[in-house]
Amino acid sequence: MSAFIDARTIPEGAVLQPDLAIVGGGPAGIAMALALADAPFRVMLLESGGLTFDAKTQALYDGPEAGVPYLGLQASRMRFLGGGTNIWGGWSRPMDGLDFEERSWMPHSGWPFGIEALKPHYPRAQSLCEAGPWLYDKAEKRSPEQGPMIALGDGGVVTRWFQFSKMRGSVLPTHFGERYGDDLKRVRNLATYLHANVTRLGLAPGGAKVDRLDIATLDGRRFAVRPRHAVLAMGAVEIARLMLASNDVMRAGVGNAYGLVGRYFADHPIPRDIATLVLFDGKLAPYYLSQQLIDGAVMRAGLFPSEKYRRARAVLDSSITIESETKLDDVGKSAVAATAAAFGIDADNAVAYSLGGGCEVTPDPERRLTLDSGRDALGMPKVRLHMRLADSDLAHFRDTLKELGRQLLASRTGMLRLNMKERSQWLAGLDWGNHHMGTTRAHADPKKGVVDANLQVHGVANLFVAGSAVYPTYGAVNPTLSIVALALRLADHLRGRLR
Amino acid sequence: MRDILTRRNVLIGAGGVVIVAGAAFEAGRLWRKRHAPSPYDDLLARLDDRDADAKIGEAVLAETTEFDAKAVAAGLRTRLDRVTLAQAVAKDAAEGRLLEAHGWVVPETIGLLCALAVKAA
Repeated sequence: MSAFIDARTIPEGAVLQPDLAIVGGGPAGIAMALALADAPFRVMLLESGGLTFDAKTQALYDGPEAGVPYLGLQASRMRFLGGGTNIWGGWSRPMDGLDFEERSWMPHSGWPFGIEALKPHYPRAQSLCEAGPWLYDKAEKRSPEQGPMIALGDGGVVTRWFQFSKMRGSVLPTHFGERYGDDLKRVRNLATYLHANVTRLGLAPGGAKVDRLDIATLDGRRFAVRPRHAVLAMGAVEIARLMLASNDVMRAGVGNAYGLVGRYFADHPIPRDIATLVLFDGKLAPYYLSQQLIDGAVMRAGLFPSEKYRRARAVLDSSITIESETKLDDVGKSAVAATAAAFGIDADNAVAYSLGGGCEVTPDPERRLTLDSGRDALGMPKVRLHMRLADSDLAHFRDTLKELGRQLLASRTGMLRLNMKERSQWLAGLDWGNHHMGTTRAHADPKKGVVDANLQVHGVANLFVAGSAVYPTYGAVNPTLSIVALALRLADHLRGRLR
Repeated sequence: MRDILTRRNVLIGAGGVVIVAGAAFEAGRLWRKRHAPSPYDDLLARLDDRDADAKIGEAVLAETTEFDAKAVAAGLRTRLDRVTLAQAVAKDAAEGRLLEAHGWVVPETIGLLCALAVKAA
């Protein structure tokens, strides 16, 4: 077992020469490093932070924002080994096949590969996320002892299942740095450097390949890495920032010949108390309200628009969760009484619940990151986020909620109140998923995407991107499981490429 | 023991029962909410609690720019002809005929009946 290397101990001006440099020790970078454990080439993992939180390192994330109120860029990520898994909630679910398709109702949609390309990698990703046996929607048949699913009848909204990452005992979820630190140390062909910040991608003359990574530490040390291949496995914000800031050879930055780097930034809006659901008989299985152990997996049910419904009604994806009991006002009590009476149903035991959820957003080139005039402690330009949220995206979510209301009525199960209508109402209760996506989107056409189907940066032969930065569209589920699956797919590709 | 089931006592008791029952019936009529007659009473009879349902009706009307009560009533009479209210609202839900009342997604028939309750007040 070899110890991690503190980059602050590397001699000033040193030049290191691995076969593959992975920049970023989050879930994508760690998954790749582990997947390449027996590869016949030398791998270097470069992590900006250490093993625990450090405020000065975290401050390197800081940057200004404009537009729709958004979480602080510094607050929504974690800059130490494990990356985003140091603050994730463990919610896991694979994307749907439809998420990868070009959809006529969604501009800029379509991945350069389908879900079939990820399917072989999901089981290993599930294992790395420690999300238990692969049950997901098979839980439907394994949960009856905990109560039936909500009877929704035929319609567009169906019960679907999340699984949760579980590190050990009652510790949720898996923090990749802590969980896999010793495993990384055991990998013979891997050298993991901590406190190593990549401040510049050095392109060879002509820009067709990367031949140098400039590394800096917060205590002022500088050295270089000259890899045969490099993978950017940081978050979607830092990848765009580094590519834009590395503009000494290509003036627009690395991979930015068509001005796409930093565009199409996305996150999942998480509005709170979006609707009130009433069940006439007041009976709700516990797995809708909180995590439950089902057949060895920690699971929770949510309500999702089916793929069939999304196609038929041309709506975006979303997920709905039942959060907590709530009280009805006088109009609500009257609405429930009148509706139940009309159906001839006794609603004396009716119970109301507040709903939450998240929704997909339409890819928007103007929701973007650009370089700011300010500089961080390493001298790198800060990044500025211009955040936008389209009314039409919220309207799609509302349409799906209304369909849920229709189904509750049609099945005589209950009814629903839509709590959001005006934009101001949505924004007042708006949170975000901390799911940074889309700044180096994948597309086969270099005019429409930064990376190709192999996640190689168009026009730069030895530079790749891992993680949710490559998402052209975003689905409505938490991205970590798919980030890891994508990273494992890229590891497979590089294994062949570097042979 | 003297026999209390005399003919006189039975008649007095029966008369008392009739008087008490009649008083209770009249009191019920007095306590029941009264509404002025309206052209929609045949429809509003389908509602359990017109006053409470008028709150929903107010919310429906707030979302509606034009509400022609006579036309709505005529449409509801056709819709409810020879079907129960339960059947009508089930059909509304199945076919997606819904109204919003202060955000509540309600079957159109319920929403319109409630709106008529407002117009009838």
